Amino acid sequence: MNIDSVFPKMKTIIADVLVLDEDEVQLSSRLISDLGAESIDFLDLVFQLEKEFSIKIPRGQLEKNARGHLSEQEFEQKGVITPAGMDALKQYLSEVPEDYFKPNMKLSEIPMLFTVETFCKLIVAAKTEQPLTQQLA
Amino acid sequence: MHFLLVDRIVQLSSSAGSVRGIKHITPDDVYIYADSQARMCFMPCLIGETLGQMTAWAAMAQCDFQKRPVAGVVSCATLHHSAYVGDTLALESWIDDLDEESVRYHGEVYVGERLIFRLEGALGPMLPMDDFIDRSTVLRQFDQINRPGEWPVTTVTQQQPITMAHRSVPLHFDAITECEPGVRLCAVKRITRSAPYFPDHFPHKPVLPLTVLLECKMNLAQAFLNRAGLSSVYRVRELQRIKMSDFVQPGDELHTQLTLKKQSEHALVLHFRSTVANRRVCTLDMVLDASEEGV
Repeated sequence: MNIDSVFPKMKTIIADVLVLDEDEVQLSSRLISDLGAESIDFLDLVFQLEKEFSIKIPRGQLEKNARGHLSEQEFEQKGVITPAGMDALKQYLSEVPEDYFKPNMKLSEIPMLFTVETFCKLIVAAKTEQPLTQQLA
Repeated sequence: MHFLLVDRIVQLSSSAGSVRGIKHITPDDVYIYADSQARMCFMPCLIGETLGQMTAWAAMAQCDFQKRPVAGVVSCATLHHSAYVGDTLALESWIDDLDEESVRYHGEVYVGERLIFRLEGALGPMLPMDDFIDRSTVLRQFDQINRPGEWPVTTVTQQQPITMAHRSVPLHFDAITECEPGVRLCAVKRITRSAPYFPDHFPHKPVLPLTVLLECKMNLAQAFLNRAGLSSVYRVRELQRIKMSDFVQPGDELHTQLTLKKQSEHALVLHFRSTVANRRVCTLDMVLDASEEGV
């Protein structure tokens, strides 16, 4: 399983959740800025993805992945991402263009960066980490 | 006037994640209308509201009333039959998943042995209680309705309700703004704090109940049908993919566009999209079947 194999189904699910034509959903589309997603849509999307791919996506998993090996205190201070945090974020969200990362970015602004590819990566990682017994089920 | 619809919780099981309760429909209810056969009918979307409120009590009890759920997404709400003055709604729901951020559940409503309403795939965010209402008030309200009792509920059938003039709360859009008969209909509803459901929904943050908006949309669907000149009479069977994206508050001007999404010999699908200041607030599909009876 890889991003290319996940993308077709991801496109269908995102189009359904956001009530869009599938043609409007590209791998590079940002869910909030380009596709108009609201917070309820993320909740709906996560639930639909869990159902479709038979995985569990813990709350805040994307943010946790973005933090990488950094502690919460190393990643952000008073709601603002630290320089080290920004490096970790850019490394994780390697599919997001450099100029989307603003200086002094707030923690609450991270979801603005998420693209369709970000969620494809999440699914691939979740399926890879899934215990073998569950994969065979 | 209030918007707390559950009369009594009779069984609450945290371990099983299930809750059962009742609501009597009586001449004291205000969310009543006369149907095409002059029978006093409980507004169908408020059957769903009652079920949702009961489930909310169960979810809140499980988190010590620190958080409360609000309307989010519903996969499908099926209206099998109407409920009338004299009926008792037997409500049953199952919480499929509950954590700090959201609750997911499904449920059913019966009158006697007859299934009248089913809800599938309901998903709602859990938000801080104090944003909406004092925790002490909610605890008091819960104590008033959480009175364990017998299940299933036995109800008296073959009743003959006393007929009387009835004042009801109309749930409609204010005006039609655009109309393409059989294709599209647009309407506007201006939200006022004077509406009777706001004091309970909620004291700290009055927001339009999703089910009130759904009831308005069902009436808008009837207006669309009246103008469409279709040969069949249609009845609402299901509401699908309901999503409430944002709160609608007093002072807002709510615009809704209804479009005919699909039409076959025996069914119609209408798509609704509501906005406030061009911001999406609610979308859904409404499935109607050709019927002998009207909506």
